[in-house]
Amino acid sequence: MEEELNPNQSSEEEEDSQDHQRNENSRSSKGANQELEEETEEKVVQFLDSMDSYLILMDSLSSSLRQGWLELASARYAMGGSRVTSALFDLKLHPAATTLQVTELAGESPPQDPMVKEPHFSLSRWSSSGEEKCCSRETEFEEDELQKKNSTFVLRHRGTSQHYVDDECTSKGSPQSPRTVDQVQRERSKSLLIFGTLVSPKLRAAQSSFETALETLVEIANMRSLMLSAHSQIKQDMDGTVE
Amino acid sequence: MYGFEAMTFNIHGGYLEAIVRGHRSGLLTAADYNNLCQCETLDDIKMHLSATEYGPYLQNEPSPLHTTTIVEKCTLKLVDEYKHMLCQATEPLSTFLEYITYGHMIDNVVLIVTGTLHERDVNELLEKCHPLGMFDSIATLAVAQNMRELYRLVLVDTPLAPYFSECITSEDLDDMNIEIMRNTLYKAYLEDFYRFCKKLGGATAEIMSDLLAFEADRRAVNITINSIGTELTRDDRRKLYSSFGLLYPYGHEELAVCEDIDQVRGVMEKYPPYQSIFAKMSYGESQMLDKAFYEEEVKRECLAFEQQFHYGVFFAYMRLREQEIRNLMWISECVAQNQKSRVHDSVVFIF
Repeated sequence: MEEELNPNQSSEEEEDSQDHQRNENSRSSKGANQELEEETEEKVVQFLDSMDSYLILMDSLSSSLRQGWLELASARYAMGGSRVTSALFDLKLHPAATTLQVTELAGESPPQDPMVKEPHFSLSRWSSSGEEKCCSRETEFEEDELQKKNSTFVLRHRGTSQHYVDDECTSKGSPQSPRTVDQVQRERSKSLLIFGTLVSPKLRAAQSSFETALETLVEIANMRSLMLSAHSQIKQDMDGTVE
Repeated sequence: MYGFEAMTFNIHGGYLEAIVRGHRSGLLTAADYNNLCQCETLDDIKMHLSATEYGPYLQNEPSPLHTTTIVEKCTLKLVDEYKHMLCQATEPLSTFLEYITYGHMIDNVVLIVTGTLHERDVNELLEKCHPLGMFDSIATLAVAQNMRELYRLVLVDTPLAPYFSECITSEDLDDMNIEIMRNTLYKAYLEDFYRFCKKLGGATAEIMSDLLAFEADRRAVNITINSIGTELTRDDRRKLYSSFGLLYPYGHEELAVCEDIDQVRGVMEKYPPYQSIFAKMSYGESQMLDKAFYEEEVKRECLAFEQQFHYGVFFAYMRLREQEIRNLMWISECVAQNQKSRVHDSVVFIF
């Protein structure tokens, strides 16, 4: 009898332990699901935030450009059409006044996955005084890099950038010496010399507006990169859930 | 003798004065500007202008129009009227009419020289030159390397030759030298024109002295404001001011040392005719200064038509047309950029 009872008891114990294990599994999977959901929500919120910032930046860009174009027309009104004209643009080879540096952030995403790389763009303004070589990052782009979705933004320079490819220039975003306000102001005035030395304040205001627009463009590029990265992460998570 | 022009003026100048007064009545009115300011596209502007004297010049232009096209065609009308008056004029009116175009000639010379320095094609630069300032050997300007060559090769045979004596150097042409050359030439031209009008005497001398003095004073203010924050020294700045005008000489001394717009205002407010101009602007603001000066200039030029038997009407008419073309340029830009709310920032009504 006792022998008959013992097998029953052991089977009940087995069932109990199995139930207990099943409960624990379901509890841990519920916890994991909850964490997963929270992560997904966070990514969705990040995506929506970046989209909101992107739209605000686009609006700001539009406003800066409108102001710049009107100030340029105003300068043409004040100085005369023959003084503010595209016929005066300098076609001589010279270094670019502004360059774009691109770095790829080693973020959370696995580096093997090309869809979620996050390039980061930054401007280096008023860097061409002939003292520094133009370390243009875009010259290091291979053609396959240019075909990536999170596209590489290449500032078009007057004079081809190949003239300034320097094999010794290997640094990623080479460190620049701090520039004083006077030096920047001098570089800024130098770029307006094509229109003459004594230009109207309206032309300087137009220059300032277009500079702001250029900075905004770079911010938009960074924000777009962030947005697309967040979007692809969410899409990956969703595809994983469906499977 | 002043006051007796009525007896002799019409013998040689009567026909052309009648012509220019007829042209003056063809200037756009406030109603025309109101219609233009309400246009949605450049084609609408072209349609409104087709009912004015600009009609024949714009009717064959294909769409889409560009603002520079509108300005070019309207300028052609002015050039045609000027050439008609010039070929009908006798001395000294013909010389007077030629003087009116020397400013454009200086602008064209500087455009060609600057463009050549920037390695631009000469033909492209010639297309951008003002038609009133063209002369035969203008394309040869591209070969000069310094001012001495500029003078020797080209300008010695032009009306600008006498103005070059103050700026002949062997220095190579660069952006700063070119700017100083432009302003030195313009200063010499204004002073020469002023002396010529004084020599004519009578009502011409009185009216033209006022208009040219205002032009000299406005130039002085613009040079001062535009040179703030640049490498132009005080002495160089002083040398660019003309030797006549209401601001000469004490105003010029004060303007030469100004470092910001408020100091310029402080200098100009001591002169009653300019007090009203600066009263329209708030402190630290210079955006509306150009429009304020243009309004004052238009007012003086309209007053020139109140008197007869003098050459000032020709100068006034040319300047009023140029202001009208500036207005059309501004309206076109505002319409093209979809910024019609800003159209009244710079339009100066003539009537």
